[in-house]
Order: sequence, then C-alpha cells, then structure tokens
Amino acid sequence: MIISLEWLKDFIDVDLPPSALIDKLDMIGLMVEEWKEKGSDIILDIETYANRPDTLGHLGVAREIAAALGLKLKQQEWPLAEIEEKTSELCDVQIWDPDLCPRYCGIVVKGVKVGPSPEWLRKKIEIMGLKSINNVVDVTNYVLFATSQPIHAFDLAKLAGRKIIIRRAKQGEAIKTLEEEDVSLSPDMLVIADEEKPVAIAGVIGGLESSVQEETQDIFIESAYFNPISVRKTSKKIGISTDASYRFERNADISFPPRAALMAASLMTQFGGKVSRGITDVYPKPAKERTVVLRNQRVFDLLGVEIDAKFSEKTLSNLGFQVESQRKDVWKVQVPHHRVDVEREADLIEEIARFYGYDKIPVHFPPLRVPEPPLDQRREKIDRSRQILFNHGFDEALNFSFSSPEKEAQFETGRSAIEIRNPISSNASLLRTTLMGGLLDNIAWNMNRGADGVHFFEVGNIYFKNKMKSQEQLTLSLVTTGLVGPPHWHRKSEKTDFFRLKGTLESLMEYLNYEPYSFKEEPHTLFEKESALALVVKKDTIGYFGLLKKSLLDAYSLDEPVWAAELNLDALFGKPSQAFQYSPVTKFPTVTRDVSFIADGNVSFQDIQEVVGKLSLPYLGSFDLYDRFSGPSIPKGKVSLSLRFVFSHPKRTLKTEEIDKIQKKIISALGASFNFQLREGGRIDK
Amino acid sequence: MKDFKARVEDFKKKFDKALAGAKDGKSLQELRNTYLSRKKGVVKSLLEELKAFKPEEKSKAGKMLNTLKNHVQKKLETAQKKFTAPETIEKKIDLTLPGEKKYWGAPHPVVLFQQKIENIFISMGFSIEEGPEIETDYYNFEALNFPPHHPARDDWDTLYLSDDLLLRTHTSPVQIRAMENRKPPIRIIVPGRVYRRETPDPTHLPMFYQVEGLVVDKGITFAHLKGTLEYFLKTLFYEKLKIRFRPSFFPFTEPSAEVDIECLVCRGEDDKCRVCKGTGWKEILGSGMVDPQVLKNVNIDPEKYSGFAFGMGIERTAMFAFQIPDMRYFFENDLRFIRQFTLK
Repeated sequence: MIISLEWLKDFIDVDLPPSALIDKLDMIGLMVEEWKEKGSDIILDIETYANRPDTLGHLGVAREIAAALGLKLKQQEWPLAEIEEKTSELCDVQIWDPDLCPRYCGIVVKGVKVGPSPEWLRKKIEIMGLKSINNVVDVTNYVLFATSQPIHAFDLAKLAGRKIIIRRAKQGEAIKTLEEEDVSLSPDMLVIADEEKPVAIAGVIGGLESSVQEETQDIFIESAYFNPISVRKTSKKIGISTDASYRFERNADISFPPRAALMAASLMTQFGGKVSRGITDVYPKPAKERTVVLRNQRVFDLLGVEIDAKFSEKTLSNLGFQVESQRKDVWKVQVPHHRVDVEREADLIEEIARFYGYDKIPVHFPPLRVPEPPLDQRREKIDRSRQILFNHGFDEALNFSFSSPEKEAQFETGRSAIEIRNPISSNASLLRTTLMGGLLDNIAWNMNRGADGVHFFEVGNIYFKNKMKSQEQLTLSLVTTGLVGPPHWHRKSEKTDFFRLKGTLESLMEYLNYEPYSFKEEPHTLFEKESALALVVKKDTIGYFGLLKKSLLDAYSLDEPVWAAELNLDALFGKPSQAFQYSPVTKFPTVTRDVSFIADGNVSFQDIQEVVGKLSLPYLGSFDLYDRFSGPSIPKGKVSLSLRFVFSHPKRTLKTEEIDKIQKKIISALGASFNFQLREGGRIDK
Repeated sequence: MKDFKARVEDFKKKFDKALAGAKDGKSLQELRNTYLSRKKGVVKSLLEELKAFKPEEKSKAGKMLNTLKNHVQKKLETAQKKFTAPETIEKKIDLTLPGEKKYWGAPHPVVLFQQKIENIFISMGFSIEEGPEIETDYYNFEALNFPPHHPARDDWDTLYLSDDLLLRTHTSPVQIRAMENRKPPIRIIVPGRVYRRETPDPTHLPMFYQVEGLVVDKGITFAHLKGTLEYFLKTLFYEKLKIRFRPSFFPFTEPSAEVDIECLVCRGEDDKCRVCKGTGWKEILGSGMVDPQVLKNVNIDPEKYSGFAFGMGIERTAMFAFQIPDMRYFFENDLRFIRQFTLK
C-alpha cells in the first residue's frame, strides 16, 4: 500500500522525522518496504496483510500511528450544499439479496461539471500510481485511498427507471465493463442493476454504459458493503481484480459506507454539484457489536511478560476498542467494525504486544520437560548412503519434481504420472515418475560446459498413481559417465564403467548392512539389452542398474555411454538391516591360497561363487577374484581367472595338510563343474 | 699361515682407516679397485697365495679371505648409499609436482544448509518430522485456519492436482499431522520440499525447501519463541548478530512475528545496499504463537496448552548467507556451483 506522508496529515498531526516514523511503523507491523522523497512529500510502500483491510487506506494507517504515538485523529467535516429533492425520490434502491449485500448507501449529486481534476486531486491520484481521468472518477478513487472504502459513481440519467436493484445476475446476462471488456454473468454473481439490466458487477467493476462521461450531469454515488466471499468468487471467475474488489474480498468496514458517501458527495460539490437530501441507507440487518473477553493473566501466559493492565487498557482504547472492566483483571472489549481481524482473546493480546513492542518481550528458552522420541532410523540411513556415495566420487544433485509428457514417454517407467491441473508450463505439467530425467539434464548441462565426466546421485521422491491413489516413493538414482576425477599426471585417467557403478552399489549394501543381497540379470526399459541387473534383497527387487538405452542418450544429445541405477529406498529401508555384531579376531595366522585357472570365457562369476558356496568349506574367511585376463598367452575363447582363498581358525594354527586337502577339493569341484584347468606358472602355494 | 692371518687383519685395518677418510664416491671407487679388482685387487692377490697352502690350511685361509671380502663389500655398499642417496633423489623426483587428491563427491548446498539447520535444532532437543508433499486442502489450508475463499490463500499460490489434492505450499501441514498423531509436549522441526505456482526468476521458484518448527507444551510463551529463534540464528550466523522481531500476519499464528536479521552485506551502513534495499535488515523467518483455532482443530485445549511455530526458506537463507544472486542456480546442478560448498 502506497502511503503519502502529506496525505496522512489530513488525518493526524504527526511531526516525527521520517526515519523515526518508519521505524515506528516497522515495529507495529506496518513494514515499510521502500520509501522515496517526492518534492516535499515522502512516499512509503507499506506491506499490508490479508487480515487488515483497514490499513488499505490512509485513514487506517493514521489510526495505527495515532495509537502508537498517543495522538488523536483529526475530525473531518464534509459540508454539503443540499437541494430540496430527497435521495429516495431521485433513485429507488432495493436489495434483493441481503446475504450478498448487507448494506447499500446512495446519494445523488446533481449538476456536476465533469472535467479535469483540480491540481490537489490530480496529484493525490498520481501518487497512488493511477492516471487522473476526470474530477468525478478521481473523487471516487480519492475516497478509496483515503478511507479504504470503495465507492462507485453512476450517471443517474443512464439508470433505467431511476432504479438501483442489488440482485444476482440472471442466466444469460452480460455486461461491458469500464475497461470495455465483455463479461458474461451467471446467477452466482451479484450485480447492481437498473430496471432493465446489470449496470455494474457488485464490488468488482462498473459497467461502461452507466459510467460517468463528460456530458454527465447528475451522479448517483454508491457506497456499500458486499459479502467478501461473493466478491472474491466473482472476481476470480471473471478474472478481474480491482482496487475495489481487493478491499471488499478482505472484508470492509460495514459501519463506514454512509461516511464515505457523504465525503464523496461533499467533494463533488466543489465541481458545482448539489447534493440530494437524506442519504439512502438500506441496511436490513445491522451487524451486531462484537465483544471479546480479555483476561490479564492470559496476556502473561501467552507473551511471557508482565504487562501493566493500564497499558493494555490504554492501547486498546487508543485503537478504537471500547474496554469495559468486568472484574479485576478481566475486561469486556467491544471491537470497532473496521477491525475485522479481531475475534478472539489472542487477537487482542497481539494488539497489546504490537504496541508494547516485541523487542521488549524477554528472551527465554523453553524448558524441555519430556525428551523427544529418538531420531528416525530412516533419516540416518539416507545420510549414511550419501556419505558412501560421496566417498565413491558421486556428487549430489537436486532436481525439480516436475516432468513433462514427452519426458515420461521417453522413460516408459510404466508408472502412471500425476497431472498438475494448473501447471506453470507444459514442460512442468506432470510429477516425475523417475529421477532419471533431471539427472540426464544435469549430465548434458555439465558436459556442455566442459566437464570430462559427471557422476551424480539424487535422493528424492517420485510420484505416481497407484490404484487411483497418489503415492510418493523415496528413490535413489545414480548416473555415471565419462572420466573419473580430473586428469592427473600421476595416474592414467580412467573412464567410468558398469563395474564402478556396481561396486558403488555393493559398497552401499554392505555399509548399510543389507547382506545378503544378490544381482539378477533382467531386462528393463531404461537399459540396453543384456546390460542391466536387478538388485535383489530378501527376494524383493529393490532396483535396477545398467547401461542406459541409446535412445535416451540421443534424446539428451549425450555421446558418451551413461550407466545408471534407480533404487526404491522405501522398499529397501522397509526391510530390517542386519544388526551389527562384532566377530572375534583370530590370534592365529591366516593362510592365503591363490589359484589360477584357465576357464571358458562364458563361465559366470556368480556360478563359480555358487559352486564354491555349496562346498561349505571349513575355515574359509573370504574368497575373491583378483585377476582376470585373456590374450596371446591364453588359448582363444578362454580366460585366466585367479582366485584368492583366505582361511583362518579362531583357536589354532591351521596345518598345511588340511588346507591342501581343501584346496584340492576346490580344484576338483571347479574342474568338474566348469572344466577348469590349473594354469601353468600360476602360483599354487604361498 | 700365521703370517697370512696377520696380513689379512692388517689389510682389514688399512681398509677401515681408508674408508673412514673417504670423502666422496670417487675415493670409494678407488678403494673398491684396490681391494676387489678381479685382476690386481688385494683379495685377488691373497687368493693367489692360497695355491701354495696345505689343504686344511687352505680352507681356513679361504674363510678368512671370504670374511675380508664380505666386510669390504658391505662397508663399501653402506658408504656408497651415504654419498649418493641425496643426490639421486633430487635428480629422480620433482617434489613440486602436484599430489594426488581424492575426488570426493560434494553434497548439494541445499542439503548441506538444511543439515546445518537441523543440527542446531537437534542440539536444542528437537526431533525431525516429515510429511507428504501431496496434501489435501484440509491439511494445507483449512486446519491451519485459512478459511475457504480467504484472500490469505493468495499469498500461497497453489498448484492443484484435483479439487481436494494439491502440492503443499508450505511444510506447515506437518504441524497438524504431528499434533493429530502425538500428545504434547511436541518439539519438532520439519524440513521438506514445498511448491508455489510461481514462474522461475532470480528470487522465485515453483519448488523450494523449507524448514518448519513447532513447540507445543504447557506454559509456552512468546518469550520462548524469541529465545529459541535467537539462539538458532546466532548459532547459524554469528554470536553478535542483530535480530529483531516485528508484528506480521499468518493465519495459523496469533500473535505473529517476522524475524529480521541485520544485513550481512552492509551491516546497516549503506543506504543504497541492494541486498537490504538500504533498510539494514533482511527478513529471514516467519513465526508466531500457534493460533488457538489451530489447536482446537487438532483437539488440543488452548486454555491448557500453548505453542509457537516458525518457518524459513532454505535456499533464501543460503542465498543471503553466501551472497548467491539467483535462486535458480540451486537446481541447475552445475558442478562448478555445487562443488564450491563442500568445505563450507
């Protein structure tokens, strides 16, 4: 809300220096966002709140300053040059829908000379950022910005039958607005009509036809109170918001319409107008006075500071509340009509706190009587996962939750995407069903800006419809492409690959204590054929990883291969991880045996693991593949595999002979299952 | 034979003396020639003499000679290392070459900042609560005392999924869920994604992160709100930070307060400061005492219990703390941006 200090002086004699006034306004909740000097005036831009429509005019801001500084508001006089004719004879006002229009005031000004506004009025209108139109229209805007009560001026001659009927629009009715926009009306909208047709959309905007033009002579001034919800619904439906609708939908001061009408009429007499006798005021069910009980004890209970009861009483009366003592330290407080925000005791306590000063309320720490429940395991697991991924050289990304139909079509996740009804753009009209879209964007972005490699992970929700219900699923996705780390003289630059990703996932499962886990070759829509594995924990597939499909890379214009993974963390964390228990460290030496074989190139490591596993070898601590190669020294179609077995016993030193026996068993089992040959020159013992 | 033994010992002594006097690699080489040369070295010439000995004397003398040879060789080797070691290192390795650093992945700055905030509240006995991003109108608005069709909703411009379902516009619905699920005392913070129908620009995004806080117990006051938030802000920024509370409006708190901190850029010294628009203050938190209607909505008696709530935008706070001019940077995931925050 724009406030002019000069204009404020119409209502209050304030002579604080501007900077002190601004501080004061800030501290009572009228935050000055910006201010500038304009000639001798100072213009403030004040932040106002949806519950304080009274501050949407200079009068309301003046009231607040008066209360803060202990000043009195100036009484304004609105002299009228009256004529004999009664208002009711000149125009008949009927409210047909008192729910939507509880109060309607009108007065007629005859013989106005419509023309340019005088200097003082034009200046005020321009301060508010509007263009001066003519003296009559400017007066209506002047009253609005002075008092926050919107008023409207009709050309009386254009009102058919000299009637004002406040009613709902009929089906099929339409109106051309002041802004020359055609609006079709419906029965849920309140209109101001004459005998024949709507002449204004109540509380929102006037009609062009009945508007004040240069030839207009007699003016009907409308000053009313409209139902806030009705004004808001209409304004939203027709997509027109005005200074008037902005105030009405926030709830106006129902006691104010007569004063605003008189003020406008008085000002119009300055342009040769004469005012009809007796204001028309249709107000079938006058609003009840609102009273709220205030207990001094509650002021302390809520604010944590002892405030002198006299201070509270004075503050409220300064603000226009009527404070009546009921018994000691309990008051009955009558709320002025312009304070539509005050309904409960807490609202009054806020008033007291505002003027007492938030800065004077002491600083205490809330006692911790009962500890909170221990922190969630799930969050700890997420953070542990992140640390493991950082350690493996993956950077963390966060992407928007939005997706587009094109993206969803590329990924074919098989999940039914949730649509946003009012998206900001068609690129963001869906919620993502995979994290892959964002991460591929991130790869493209960084590769286009000179990155040699990109390795990202993201932890976040995906969203989809599941049996008509919307579901959020916590997901972890990884992508890895290009060089690992920056090039360095000390080691060769390595490109990322499938096994780097797989190793990362293996670390993840091991450090999170999700063992045993296994991998299963399984086709998946995201990945190339025969290039994807499923990660299985306790018989459930937790996620997939592999080489991303060429078509996806093309869609994002990526040249380098990208390996990616997507894991369902809800499913994983839903499973209990293995409780950790330490295993005793043996005091006796371990025995390491390395065995090298020549094997068929197509034997899978998982099969070897299985065969070794089935042997249930005693004392076997670990078993790993530490070398694998093929080349000129190896027959065609074959590979050399080097396995390392580590044995230990908790209570004694192992004997060479018993290990020899086990080793023979391994060699013969692998020989029998896969036709493995011991490689010549391979180390047999160590 | 005795004579032979004495001579061998004499040679050993001579060698030791000569070695002690050796000053460089060259003199060592000379010594080596004198003693070990295959043609005319001392050892070689003594070996020649053996031919004349009797067999049992031969083996004794051979051992003596071997001991001498080993002694000379070993001493020479050790001495050689002493003379040549420093020289060769300097020649072989340039110690000014860059070391090999580990490529450690970087956390996203929003998560980093969020955790910083979380840890301060955890230290004050708060626990962390989460809730769904897809919410109903009831939890997002109505239970929080936003009447239907109230213009207050305009400040929370909403993305709708259906008549009743929406993307939460703030983390505040989790206040309601927590109070429905638990009895006071409650002392929680709620981090998470929130959504607004905003076109991206340097200071607005359709999705961002918030942290919400809620404390409900008997006897909770506005003074407790001030104490908690002052401690939080001073820990997050620095101890001498200037903080002010000023009245504001939120439908779900009464009284409500906005919390400003001094401008970290100009410290209130620059009338033309772009960051604080010359006011010297920067708005950082919204807060207030939980509205009695909100307590009633979750069946907590406002006569018995009271509470306070607060909320802040994570990106906005991080932008202010690190002087980041554009909010969109957070979701471009440019490595050159993200990786800067690793050590901060």
